[in-house]
Amino acid sequence: MSKAKKIITHWRVIIALAAIVLALVAIHPNPFVKGVTIRAVTFNSSVSSAGITSTKPTSSPMSRERIISMNNIPIENLEDYYDFISTLKANRTVHIKTNKNLYKLITKPGLNDDEIEDIGLSVYEAPTTNIRKGLDLQGGTRVLLQPEENLEPDAMEILLSNMQYRLNVYGLSDVVVRESGDLSGNQYVLVEIAGAKEEEVKELLAKQGKFEATIANETVFKGGQDITYVCRSADCAGIDPMSGCGKSGDLWVCRFRFAISLSPEAAERQAEITKDLPVITENSEEYLSEKLILYLDDAPVDELFVGSDLKGRAVTDIQISGSGAGSTQQEAVFNSLENMKKLQTVLITGSLPVKLDIVKTDTISPIFGKEFIKNALFIGLLAVISVIIVILVRYRKIKVAAPMLFTIITELVILLGVAAIIGWNLDLAAIAGIIVAIGTGVDHQIVIADETLKGESSGASYDWKQKIKRAFFIIMAAYFTTVVAMLPLMKAGAGLLRGFAVTTIIGVSVGVLITRPAYASIVEILLKE
Amino acid sequence: MEERENQEEKTEEKHIWKKKFSLKEFYDKNYKKLLLIPFLMLVLAILQIAIQTAVTGDFINKGVSLKGGLTVSIDKIASIIELQNYLRDQFPDADISVRALSSAGTQIGIIIEAADVEADELMQAIQNRLGDLNKDEFSIEVMGSSLGASFFKETFRAVIIAFLFMGIVVFLYFRTPTPSFAVILAAFSDIIVTLAIVNLIGMKISTAGIAAFLMLIGYSVDTDILLSTRVLKRKEGTVLDGILSAMRTGMTMSITTMIAVLVALVFAQSVILKQIMIILFIGLLVDLPNTWIQNAGILRWYLERKKKEYRSEE
Repeated sequence: MSKAKKIITHWRVIIALAAIVLALVAIHPNPFVKGVTIRAVTFNSSVSSAGITSTKPTSSPMSRERIISMNNIPIENLEDYYDFISTLKANRTVHIKTNKNLYKLITKPGLNDDEIEDIGLSVYEAPTTNIRKGLDLQGGTRVLLQPEENLEPDAMEILLSNMQYRLNVYGLSDVVVRESGDLSGNQYVLVEIAGAKEEEVKELLAKQGKFEATIANETVFKGGQDITYVCRSADCAGIDPMSGCGKSGDLWVCRFRFAISLSPEAAERQAEITKDLPVITENSEEYLSEKLILYLDDAPVDELFVGSDLKGRAVTDIQISGSGAGSTQQEAVFNSLENMKKLQTVLITGSLPVKLDIVKTDTISPIFGKEFIKNALFIGLLAVISVIIVILVRYRKIKVAAPMLFTIITELVILLGVAAIIGWNLDLAAIAGIIVAIGTGVDHQIVIADETLKGESSGASYDWKQKIKRAFFIIMAAYFTTVVAMLPLMKAGAGLLRGFAVTTIIGVSVGVLITRPAYASIVEILLKE
Repeated sequence: MEERENQEEKTEEKHIWKKKFSLKEFYDKNYKKLLLIPFLMLVLAILQIAIQTAVTGDFINKGVSLKGGLTVSIDKIASIIELQNYLRDQFPDADISVRALSSAGTQIGIIIEAADVEADELMQAIQNRLGDLNKDEFSIEVMGSSLGASFFKETFRAVIIAFLFMGIVVFLYFRTPTPSFAVILAAFSDIIVTLAIVNLIGMKISTAGIAAFLMLIGYSVDTDILLSTRVLKRKEGTVLDGILSAMRTGMTMSITTMIAVLVALVFAQSVILKQIMIILFIGLLVDLPNTWIQNAGILRWYLERKKKEYRSEE
């Protein structure tokens, strides 16, 4: 059997090759992608009425909806997009073709003549791989907030979904909101908004949120003092047992309901506003002629019918109901519960007892990000070349250096593949982690090379297993010390260095478990007579 | 068979050390005296850190990201000194320093670090001087002073915990007190001496700098573990043979890493990466005497004493 065949069929090498293939599938590189990818859709804009939805921040970059043409004019990059947008006039129809669907929207007139209202679309250059660029690489805003007092886990959960929802209402969807802590037990909320440079976002986040409900343009209740309780437990919230789910046409529709309590003042206001409103009948149920409209930070987010029995009565315990639809009953139940949750979040907003302090803000220019990627790639290439030269000078053997180069590349590809699979954002800290992982990788391969080369020149049939075992004894010790040294960083300091710790741990683990054993086998086969 | 191989190895080593024969002999004969060098370095470093703490109240020079303040990076080229003087005139109460952002020796941008000044006011002043800046042309990082302080405390704690964890792993691995202690002492000396040198060159440590010290724990322990394994698990040859064979591997490891670090140091545009690389480079240099004189010396002393005790018992 030739050496090449022996290498390819060795199980350790097969595992490494399989890992590369999986990593490439996950990274999904496609340099020929054209178009602009949808980042966010502004609430109540002409685009959102056309049915285009915001991108979920959790979706993988290559699976996101991409605009290919507008009014049959191909859109290949951001420049094409902005050129097209600048030609738009009010009250015209625009056909948008994406890689998933066709949409038709009508532009709205702006405040002044000859102006149009922003169509409400935020886009970015279509990504060519599934590797997520963190803020340091693509530009954006990062805000770290600290609650003034410590929150219980469920209060924290409400706070997070609340902030996420408020930012979405604001038209920002590529937003990461997550909890972060440190070793001293401090709590933080980390908000990352890709691509955006929104000064107002910072103010928005620090505010406790403004929630208001009106009937006929008069405020009935505000968030904070007016809503004293929102039920979220099964006995007073969920699918309405009275009406449940039913089929209407092709669709299943389910109704949900939940109870809230108003303060006596708010109940009084409600009675005062509704006492003169006429009653209308819809779907054989009696409602007031004016709807209850919910506003979040001055943007309308929902409308509810008000039951006629509330007319002119100061009731503190009221029931809020709504519905959700879907093609199957299961889907309808799911959607109505989602709608309920959203509504509850809105109602709880502002009634949060906690104020948030901004403790850190970063606004990163996208120009710096682009330059940084180029620079990092250049340095990486140069560093690898110089390391390989040193190895060649020291060992004077292609058989040692070539597999080393192969291993470095393999480790990098697998590491990026893992990052793509777990949706890890590559930022500066993560790049530092990659450097450590690759760096220790070279060190470990030198240990393997030296252990296997020992006695090799004598031609004696030295025990290969023993050599590799001894090399890995050293490597595993180094591996464990690196991993345990990184562990405290996962939790320390508001998680600001978490990316560094996680990437380092993943990187050295990939190396020790997959690529470095493969390197040992390749060198063994190449050097063995 | 084993014997023949052993001889082969010895002749190979002799060949390498032929030119510097006296150096090898010196290292062999005087390893106990040589131990003074790393210990003196450690004592001086501790002295430096003590003085630094007494004078400034902190054992390192904290950058704005550790004590709170603003970092503005601008994608424009301008005179650093003029801008710094102008800004210091405008905000006499603030602590402002302006540096060039450079790659391979040429300026590519400006970095402004400031404490005790509002971001908006500072940006206004900068634009008065440099002309209006497009929002894409600059980055701003604002670190609250309370977070800066807590971040510093936290990462400092993380370094100590990391160090303890590392020590436990080393103990579990070698299961003998003196060699384990030697590895831990070498890693400790690396960090302390590197810290003192960083202080002496007046570098201000940022959050990333702390990460560099953690990287250093990993890198410095690598060579120490290699040395201890080769010497302790070795069945053939003398202790010195073991040390010298480990040194060949270890030096190759250090040189490749240092070259990669140097490349990154020269060409990196990011200030953060540059700082990490400077600290790593100093640390790797400091690691050389700490591994090959301090750790190797203690290990040899320990093994030769054990041998003597063993003989006298016989």
